[in-house]
Amino acid sequence: MSVVLRNRVRISGVPTGRPILFAHGFGCDQTMWRLVAPAFEADHRVVLFDHVGAGGSDLSAYDPARYGSLQGYADDLVQICRELDLSDVVLVGHSVSAMIGVLAVRAAPELFGALVMVGPNPRYVDDGDYTGGFTRADIAGLLDSLDANHLGWSAAMAPVIMGPGQPELTEELTNSFCRTDPDIARQFARVTFLSDNRADLPAVSVPTLVLQCSDDAIAPDAVGRFVHEQVPGSTFVQLAATGHCPHLSAPEETVEAIRAWLREPAGRVRA
Amino acid sequence: MEDAPGAGPAELGRLIEDDPADLYENAPCGYLSMLPGGRIIKVNRTFAQWSRRSAEELLGASFPELLTVGGRVFHETHFTPLLRMQGAVREVALDLALPDGTTLPCLVNAVELRDDAGAPVLVRATLFEATSRRRYERALLAAQRTAAESETRSRALHQAVSELAAAVSVHDVAVVLVEGARAAVAADGGGLWLFPAEEAPGRRPGRTPPRLLAQAGISAPLRAELERLGARATRLVRPGGVRVVPLGPDLERQEPGLAAVMAAERVDALVLVPVTAEGRPRGLLVLVRSADGEGGGELISLTEPGTGGDLAVADADLLRTLGRQAGQALERVWLYEETARQAARSAFLLDAARLMSAAAGVAETVERLALLAVPRLADLCLIDLMTEHGWTRPAARHADPALQHLADRLRDVHLPPSGGAHPSVQAADGGRTVWVREVTDAWMARIAQDDRHLAVLHELRLTGLVAVPLMAEGRLLGVLTLGSSRQRGPFTAADVEVAEQLALQVSQVVDKAQRLELETRTSHALQANLLPPAPPPVPGLAVAVRYMAASQGADVGGDFYDVVPLPADGTVALAVGDVVGHDITAAAVMGQLRSVHRVLLAERPSPSAIIDRFQAGWGLLGLQRMATALFGRLDPATGQLRLASAGHLSPLLITGDRVEYLDVRPSRMLGAPPAPAPAVEWAGVLPVGATLVLFTDGLVESRTADIDAGLAALRDVARAASGAGPDELCDRLLAELTGDHRADDVALLAVARV
Repeated sequence: MSVVLRNRVRISGVPTGRPILFAHGFGCDQTMWRLVAPAFEADHRVVLFDHVGAGGSDLSAYDPARYGSLQGYADDLVQICRELDLSDVVLVGHSVSAMIGVLAVRAAPELFGALVMVGPNPRYVDDGDYTGGFTRADIAGLLDSLDANHLGWSAAMAPVIMGPGQPELTEELTNSFCRTDPDIARQFARVTFLSDNRADLPAVSVPTLVLQCSDDAIAPDAVGRFVHEQVPGSTFVQLAATGHCPHLSAPEETVEAIRAWLREPAGRVRA
Repeated sequence: MEDAPGAGPAELGRLIEDDPADLYENAPCGYLSMLPGGRIIKVNRTFAQWSRRSAEELLGASFPELLTVGGRVFHETHFTPLLRMQGAVREVALDLALPDGTTLPCLVNAVELRDDAGAPVLVRATLFEATSRRRYERALLAAQRTAAESETRSRALHQAVSELAAAVSVHDVAVVLVEGARAAVAADGGGLWLFPAEEAPGRRPGRTPPRLLAQAGISAPLRAELERLGARATRLVRPGGVRVVPLGPDLERQEPGLAAVMAAERVDALVLVPVTAEGRPRGLLVLVRSADGEGGGELISLTEPGTGGDLAVADADLLRTLGRQAGQALERVWLYEETARQAARSAFLLDAARLMSAAAGVAETVERLALLAVPRLADLCLIDLMTEHGWTRPAARHADPALQHLADRLRDVHLPPSGGAHPSVQAADGGRTVWVREVTDAWMARIAQDDRHLAVLHELRLTGLVAVPLMAEGRLLGVLTLGSSRQRGPFTAADVEVAEQLALQVSQVVDKAQRLELETRTSHALQANLLPPAPPPVPGLAVAVRYMAASQGADVGGDFYDVVPLPADGTVALAVGDVVGHDITAAAVMGQLRSVHRVLLAERPSPSAIIDRFQAGWGLLGLQRMATALFGRLDPATGQLRLASAGHLSPLLITGDRVEYLDVRPSRMLGAPPAPAPAVEWAGVLPVGATLVLFTDGLVESRTADIDAGLAALRDVARAASGAGPDELCDRLLAELTGDHRADDVALLAVARV
């Protein structure tokens, strides 16, 4: 199956422009970039996609073994770039996709020209002196929250399964783009929150921008600083935006930070 | 509408007309207004009560920080994005973290208020307490999970059981069990150790270490440590059920070595599963659970390091069942393999018997036997024989051609000296089978003759040895020694029994062959001594004699000839004879006949008189065999010839082209019951240039043609060779009439007048 269909790849912008690929994080799908991606359409070839298991991707392509580690997702990303024949790609990865981006760049450095890591966290679970922000019990609680919600949502999906034309049809849209198969969501959560990619950071070989939000409960400042220190020659930008999703809460600031960095002489100067 | 109990119409009216502020504050749900970033700017009393905080505390606080950590993450990854995208969220489950550490499960609905440009301004949320609902949902989910896991388990068990049923070797069973158990409980590694089969009597129990049959995902250091644990593992499992052995203070105290390796290898716990058959422990399945990740994955484990992974009751049940099923499968496969081995042993012994019945000499028998024994019975086969020159090692074979040179060295250089600890010597000295169940370095050092012998022993990499004495009627003939290598595994009691049966067969064949060879050698030596030396030259005659022993086996003939010049009258006495039988007795009788014949010649009796005297004195000679004989007297000067036959074939006369059998009328055989008439004598002349041929029936008789055909053939060959001298004639007759395969002895005498 074509990866374009498998990952519901959407392309817009200038066909001859520099490719910019947006990778969504854990939780929802490519819609997350709705307020940011259009700002690059004037001078970039904009590529959006859904990770397998999320949004409009082909759920039948979900293979628990392949997606049992972040490398499976990184391989998909490389496949997308190859199938679209992209090069010098600006890869913008949010949250867990920042780490997927690290693995993709490592697997195929020739495809990528720049990496933007939005709210990265290479290891969520605290480990000795390293503070990732979470204990194992926290992650267990998160998996619990996921269960609690997906059960409710599965019930809400019942009318949809019964067919169109029902009065509940409008309800169908409720929570839809964050909805997926509960088992896939659970495994993606495990892979996201139980991975340790700290050792991969020093191997990043393209210019890298780390965007750090304020008051981010999922990717604390200290973690962003750690990533910046570990990725050679990376640029660190502290955003005023709060929370874990600056592309939603402060799209203008996010866009401007990326654009400003891309305008720099390749943004290669260590901050 | 019915009246509300305890409230008058006025009160009811007041409640219905309640002011909006009261409705907001005391509504049956929590109300919450916050800025898009989550900062709370307004709450109602219900929410304050539920969250166990005062309104003052809540105002200005961050809503996500009131949630559990899981809820906070969910808020960031789902709630906020949904609100931003859809403007509203419904029925999102979030838990409030209460100051006392407990949680309050809630369902949250929220809407986002936006300004004209679409930018978010305010979020309004309502919270409903959902403790009971969540408890119900959780129970539902747990039941669903249990059902799913139970189905997964029963599928795993079903698959493993059907694979066990299809297993045809012990190794198959081991692989299925290890893989099945690993997959079923997501263990990082697993290995099956087999306890040794029934300990042989008289041996200390538990000496043989458990044998690793199959493993996957167990690191080499841990494997070594588990093997070192050895027989103690047997004790761990004897109490019965599935046991989890976590890395912890207990283990560090009891098995510090194992604990250290587990810690170094980041192994959190071992799961020990007994493999039992008919209630007896047959093996131990060891599963390894590591601290990092489940199922060998790269993910961080949710289990805190060092706490050890407990096993779900259902998983323990599954493993126990698997262990029992595997035990039964092992039992079945063992039975099957034992039956197959039994059949192979019987076939081997049958082949050995067939081979030995066809073999000729001792050397050939043992060499072919050694070739048969490896690799079917053993990897190394040595056969030592006791001969008059002492011990010899006529056969040494190794199953692996690459190691045959080691067997050759054992044969050529390292024959064990008498006395000492070598099993071959012990078997010979004790007259009993010596079974070395385990070849150790110390043992090899003890039996080695020197450093080079020790090096050969090490290179052979033997694991077991059996030495069986070869005995016949209490006499030691030799020793059969068999060795097994690692691939074959140790010899079993049944193997030893086959070796003993084989040794019995070999002993009989070797004994018989040795006796026969001895007898043959003796007979031939005797016969060679009994035959006369080459005839002396006689003027006027050309004489040639030939004696050919039978070509097969130990057959010894009683054929003889003699040519004796008699100085008194210048005549020459001739004799050819054949004693009945082909054995040492026949040879002895022949010798006596020839001696008596010479003694009789002192009186120069006529040929018929010689026969008569033999017949008359036969009883006095005490000979046990009868004989045929032809006696003659020839005068070389005149050619006068007289012949008399005692049951013997007539001689052939060759005169130029004329070839004829002389009509010498035979009288009865020497030693046959007396007949009334004395022997009749033939008299004639042997012309100059003519040749007289005397022979025994070995020349004209064969197993495939009758004697008349043989006589006719002799005549034809003689005619064709009529111009030849006696020597050449004899050679041609033997070559063309008997060939290489003589069933009987041949004595041939040709006399020509020149």
